[in-house]
Amino acid sequence: MKTLNLVQAVNDALAVALEAHDDVVLLGEDIGRFGGVFRATAGLRERFGEERVIDTPLSEAGIIGTAVGMALYGLKPVPEIQFSDFIYPGFDHIVNELAKYRYRSGGQFPCPVTIRTPVGGGIRGGHYHSQSPEAYFIHTPGLVVVCPSTPRDAKGLLLASIRSPDPVLFLEPKPIYRKAVGEVPEGDFEVPLGQARVVREGGDVTLIAWGAMVSLCEEAAARIAPSGVECTIIDPRTLWPLDIDTIADAVSATGRCIIVHEAPRTCGFGAELAALVQERCFLHLEAPIRRVTGWDTPFPYTLEHAYLPSVERVLDAVEATIAF
Amino acid sequence: MAKLSFREALNQAMDEEMARDERVFLMGEEVGHYDGAYKVSQGLLAKYGERRVVDTPITELSFAGVGIGASMVGLRPIIEMMTFNFCILALDQIWNNAAKMRLMSGGQYNVPIVFRGPNGAAHMLSAQHSQATENWFCNVPGLKVVSPATPGDGKGLLKAAIRDDDPVIFLESEIMYNDVGEVPDAEDHVLALGKAHVVREGKDVTLIGYSHGLKAVVAAAEALAKDGIDAEVIDLRTLRPLDMETIARSVRKTHRVVTVEEGWPFGGIGAELAYRIQHALFEYLDAPVTRVTQLDMPMPYAENLEAACLPNARDVIAAARAVSYRT
Repeated sequence: MKTLNLVQAVNDALAVALEAHDDVVLLGEDIGRFGGVFRATAGLRERFGEERVIDTPLSEAGIIGTAVGMALYGLKPVPEIQFSDFIYPGFDHIVNELAKYRYRSGGQFPCPVTIRTPVGGGIRGGHYHSQSPEAYFIHTPGLVVVCPSTPRDAKGLLLASIRSPDPVLFLEPKPIYRKAVGEVPEGDFEVPLGQARVVREGGDVTLIAWGAMVSLCEEAAARIAPSGVECTIIDPRTLWPLDIDTIADAVSATGRCIIVHEAPRTCGFGAELAALVQERCFLHLEAPIRRVTGWDTPFPYTLEHAYLPSVERVLDAVEATIAF
Repeated sequence: MAKLSFREALNQAMDEEMARDERVFLMGEEVGHYDGAYKVSQGLLAKYGERRVVDTPITELSFAGVGIGASMVGLRPIIEMMTFNFCILALDQIWNNAAKMRLMSGGQYNVPIVFRGPNGAAHMLSAQHSQATENWFCNVPGLKVVSPATPGDGKGLLKAAIRDDDPVIFLESEIMYNDVGEVPDAEDHVLALGKAHVVREGKDVTLIGYSHGLKAVVAAAEALAKDGIDAEVIDLRTLRPLDMETIARSVRKTHRVVTVEEGWPFGGIGAELAYRIQHALFEYLDAPVTRVTQLDMPMPYAENLEAACLPNARDVIAAARAVSYRT
């Protein structure tokens, strides 16, 4: 075990993958000489050479399209999109090629590409450096969508993603790149895709959160525990495929459920979670499922503290669902 | 009332709005000299000339961006996407510029633009040309999303979309362009955005659909009536913002809901409806909100597999019976 922050854990996972597999290639804007704008790829070009850690032009469609082609020829590319807000020019390649290649080729061409991209706000980045675009990707069949909340999960899930035969959107919560610090196993290890993590167990209400929102929920749970309200916290870790059994078991036990996410409210991933929970736990629910989310506006620059879910907003929701 | 095809009704809406307001213009691939890939813009070039009916190169990202720029300086563009599958290439412009410009400029610039064209499956067009794209827009603050189910609604809603001061995504159905229906003659036949329509009144279960999917819903309601289940049918018309008032009025009466869409299930429109209905009407519900959707997979090419993938009246009937505990 060693103590790392989340971005160091990502760097560690990439080094392990590059060392273990000759066919793993990294590509992206500023990832080589500069080591990545968040330092996720620092030192990797020096160690593995410029043919495996490739600096690209500013062309997200080009980066993802190139990765698709590399994967079809047998490589395992790990492109970085510098901010998820920039991923939309590559959206056609993602939903029309990457997500569909295995299906369209009758299984002849799997497309093992892992797109890493930082998501989320709280870094005073404004509209174009703060978005959480998971809803578009979870909706598209053929894509695996992952979002870790701890350094340990970041390393283990990234290695599992790179080795997955199918395309993965690996969403890295940038506000906790350095804030999340924890013990990470050394060397090679994986956290399996599609398994949720029970972060905390309590009998009164189930909080579901991922990425940077997990630690927020932990703080809320700790703050309300002295008043006798005990929260279960579930981190799905993989948003698709979703470990709905773990979630449904928890909600059936507590009878109350709150979903917390940064992305805008309407048609966000919280809507899907709520739809599944009420389908599976209808007779166990003691109160309506609630969402604590970003608001239905573009991400604001000066008001990001008001836009993002806060401990206070989570606590308000807990109190409202208990009081129902 | 005139009997018009869907294509004629949409054409009439654009024609009337272009005659009414010289700032309105149409732009897209083959909208001019070819009269539109689906002939929705038939005759408009001849009537309004090349400055107001603009043929573009095959580059969705560019003409979406040109349209957004034009709308910021006072024009009111209608951008035709030959299909919304090709609009995927323009999403960066729509999501990052059209949807955000009003807020980003502190209200200095609004973007009165309509992106319109066919959406969803249209018979054996396979994985890349059959996508129901609505949910990729419904998660985006700043956009309105409209999807009409009849020629009359098509005309009234398109006119409202063109007159709206903010960006509207207007999703048509390729396989409904030949559908004929009654269309009010009045030039001010403008339907409010954000209002759903109760197509059929009933007391036992609420069925919610829109666009082409509404056909399966109406057929299911008729079959259910023969079986003693009196279904209320709601056509959403506008997918964002959702008309929760009309839905709530219905659910307070029926206590049961089935949502129907031709898009993918995971994170679809039905998910948002399920959240909102259980949140607002928890104590009224006698059964979980149940979703009928396309299967969670890329659209197959083969005719029989495509049919198996899309929701049909049988699926809606089964869901309605399930929420009525009559399986």
